[in-house]
Amino acid sequence: MAASSEMTGTRIVWWSVVLLSLLAVESRAAEPQRVLMLHAFNYSFPATTLIADSARKQLLERSERPVEIDADFLDLARNTDADYESRITTFLRAKYGKRPPDVVITLGSAALPFIVKHRDEIAPNVPVVFTSVSQRNYDSLRIPPNITGIISEFNLDRTLALAERLQPEARRLFVIAGSGEVDRRWQANARKVIEDRARKFEVTYLFERSYAKLMEEVAAIPPDSIVIYLTIFADSEGNAFVPAHVAGPLSARSPAPVYAPYDTYIGNGVVGGYVETFESVGSRAADMALQILAGTDPATIAPQSNSGQAYRVDHRAMARWKLHASNLPPDTAVLFKKPTIWTEYRGVVIAAIAIVGLQSLVLGALLLQRQRRLRIEKLLKESEERMTFAASAANIGLWQFDRQRNELWATEHCRALFGIARGKPLTREVLLSAVHSDDLQTAAQALERSGEAGQPAFCDVRIVLPGEEVRWIRMRSRSRLEGDGRSDHLGGIFVDITEQKSAEAEIALQRLEVEHLMRVSVLGELSGSIAHEINQPLTAILSNAQAALYLLAQEAPDLVEIREALEEIVHEDDRAGEVIHRLRGLLKKGERKTEHVNINDLVRSTISLLNSELIGRDIDIKFNLENRPLLARGDSVQLQQVLLNLVMNAMDAMASTPLEQRSILISTRASETGTVDVLVKDRGHGINPKVNGRLFEPFYTTKDHGLGLGLALCSTIVEAHQGRLTLVNGEGGGAVAGFSLPVQKPAFGTA
Amino acid sequence: MTDTFTVYLVDDDAGVLKALSRLLRAKGYDVRPYSSPQLFLEEHDVTVPGCAVLDVSMPGLDGLELQRALTATNGFHRPVLFVTGKGDIPTSVRAMKAGAIDFLTKPVKDVDLFEAVSRAEARDAELRRLHSEMESIQAKVGTLTPREREVLTHVVAGRLNKQIAGDLGTVEKTIKVHRSRMMEKLGIRTVADLVRMAEKLNLTK
Repeated sequence: MAASSEMTGTRIVWWSVVLLSLLAVESRAAEPQRVLMLHAFNYSFPATTLIADSARKQLLERSERPVEIDADFLDLARNTDADYESRITTFLRAKYGKRPPDVVITLGSAALPFIVKHRDEIAPNVPVVFTSVSQRNYDSLRIPPNITGIISEFNLDRTLALAERLQPEARRLFVIAGSGEVDRRWQANARKVIEDRARKFEVTYLFERSYAKLMEEVAAIPPDSIVIYLTIFADSEGNAFVPAHVAGPLSARSPAPVYAPYDTYIGNGVVGGYVETFESVGSRAADMALQILAGTDPATIAPQSNSGQAYRVDHRAMARWKLHASNLPPDTAVLFKKPTIWTEYRGVVIAAIAIVGLQSLVLGALLLQRQRRLRIEKLLKESEERMTFAASAANIGLWQFDRQRNELWATEHCRALFGIARGKPLTREVLLSAVHSDDLQTAAQALERSGEAGQPAFCDVRIVLPGEEVRWIRMRSRSRLEGDGRSDHLGGIFVDITEQKSAEAEIALQRLEVEHLMRVSVLGELSGSIAHEINQPLTAILSNAQAALYLLAQEAPDLVEIREALEEIVHEDDRAGEVIHRLRGLLKKGERKTEHVNINDLVRSTISLLNSELIGRDIDIKFNLENRPLLARGDSVQLQQVLLNLVMNAMDAMASTPLEQRSILISTRASETGTVDVLVKDRGHGINPKVNGRLFEPFYTTKDHGLGLGLALCSTIVEAHQGRLTLVNGEGGGAVAGFSLPVQKPAFGTA
Repeated sequence: MTDTFTVYLVDDDAGVLKALSRLLRAKGYDVRPYSSPQLFLEEHDVTVPGCAVLDVSMPGLDGLELQRALTATNGFHRPVLFVTGKGDIPTSVRAMKAGAIDFLTKPVKDVDLFEAVSRAEARDAELRRLHSEMESIQAKVGTLTPREREVLTHVVAGRLNKQIAGDLGTVEKTIKVHRSRMMEKLGIRTVADLVRMAEKLNLTK
């Protein structure tokens, strides 16, 4: 317990100390700290005012505790008499003696010697932060401890360098300074700086002039000169000036650009120079003052030179003397440049320009597109007109059909093709109503096909015109293929092919005519033999009849014999009739028929016509016919014609063959490939290999009196029967001509 | 007509062959039909009186060739007549020149056929008569001695006995004997008859 009470006592003591210290801090915090701004000159002195403003701002912003700022103006430039200093010192002591400032900031170079001299009278040992004191000035004063500050460098050398850059051609240099204390320091400084420089100017020092005189001389400065204005605190007549205020009239009068090492002159007409900004001096002095207020011993804070120096120029002055910004050193601050929209609102401007640009682009693109569309529309229209014109010129009608909507679009020419009156609408129904009723099915099927397959389809249909005239129209159609492989959009053309159709019919007719003529001509060649074929039965008939008559005349007629004679007559008559029938078939003109043809029968009956011709030419004919009937489909007359031709060719080929060798072998067979083959083999001269390829050409002949149509026609006929005509040289001499037709399976029940 | 006359009928057309056979048989001829020249030549007997009725156009051997083949047989001329479906002039001329009785075109009329056949029959008879006559003369000539045959040729040549004797180097009297014996063997009385006979035998040259 004893230990515990001891512990409690210690804790109380500890807490009391903490509380007291906190209270002390609190009491100090409650008491505002005082700063005195001591101006060397009066209020209208720009440099010091700027420094003071900047320092005040910084103090108020950065101080942790409340700061009370006072200012007093020593006005040392205007009051130079010896008593003045003691009077103002008394005034200040009276003013601040009871409540001395915590720190004094001097503004203007003259304020520092004053406070050094009179500090202890006003506020003993008060910490001082000075400003606007040159290194030389600082060195010349014996500064006691706890006085620190900012040493200013007014860099004439660099200011001159700026002038040289902006005016590389200038050869004359005018240096202006007044007659005050500071002015005279500058005079010496200037002479030294200029003499040290590498570049030698023709230098005129306008020092120690009266204000009026100076102005006169300034006005006479040649324009291609460089003018350096230092300071005029006082003229030779003792008049006091604010140097910054002199800068204005001076610059106004000077025909040549005026440069200066002071920031405050910038804005008053001078071009600019290498200057320290008074704002930076003020804020740095304030920082020092704050350190001191925070408790730092001022003796430990060394004076600093201002690093915030830079080239600064007045844009307006540059413009006035036509100096080029491009000659400025890098990092030059250009002041009073009326901020362009660009510099001020760079982002906004860029954005705006970008937007405007984009909009212009869009507009341009739209315009371009519109123009292009118009052009394409025009081209399209022209193209369509051309196409419509070409289509009607070619007697073609164009159409499109939307199956889903049942809508038809068709060119006007379709009216003419379908014979539709002008007032009537061109619809599917109207068009269909013009189609020949027999062809409606065909048309519908073709449309269906083209819609399904996406394939072009065509069909030929007849159109009945109002005058009952019939025209052939070919309808070509194609569908635009869509996803599901079926299309609702059909398009196509109508072409009038009536002339083509009639030409085709004409050609077919002509071909039939030619075929017929060829048959007639072949039969003409065979006329003797054919006559013989009829003559033989006639002979038999006559003789039989007469024999019968003789037999009847006998006393005891042999009736058996008579009967036989009569039977023979009937038989022979049939025979003659058969020949005539065959002949008529061959001589008949007619359309091609399609019937079942027994090829073996065809061979036999055809050769029977040639019988006596073969005998007459000493040609032996042999057959090697398939045992079972061979059926093909076709026109028997035409097939006979083919066979007749082949056999006649075989006979002709053997004209120079020795009699005992003349023979023709006709064979028929059913091939494994499903064809019926008929082969005619002769022992003639064979085929000359040179002419082999041309034998089926029309009007090509190897015979002396041939037309050259036989094989050409045979080939046409056989091909029309889906067959093939062949002609090759046989083994062991002679030629083998033949044709093969697709075999026709015998119908059930036929053998 | 006589039953012994045979008509050899050759035609490759069976119908025609049958019909013509029937007709000729109805007329009373003995008909031997052949459908091919070869068959006919195989069976042909020249000794049988008759004629050949031939088709011109036949496979293998045509009518005219057959005619030539017949002429070559035993030196006897079988009368030939043609019945043809193709009566062209060159063929008919060739046939007639080769000694055809006739050249008939099909269809042949019975009268024409019978007339031609009867002429062939007469010709055949004539030929046969001549043939037998010649055969008897030749037989008689065969009985002559070589000397008598020599005399015969000289007499036929118009030589007088004296001249003949001179030619043969003998006396006229010997020639006379040979001559009378020769005339007697031949059964000929006059020189005129002898010359006629010699002409038939083709001995005059």
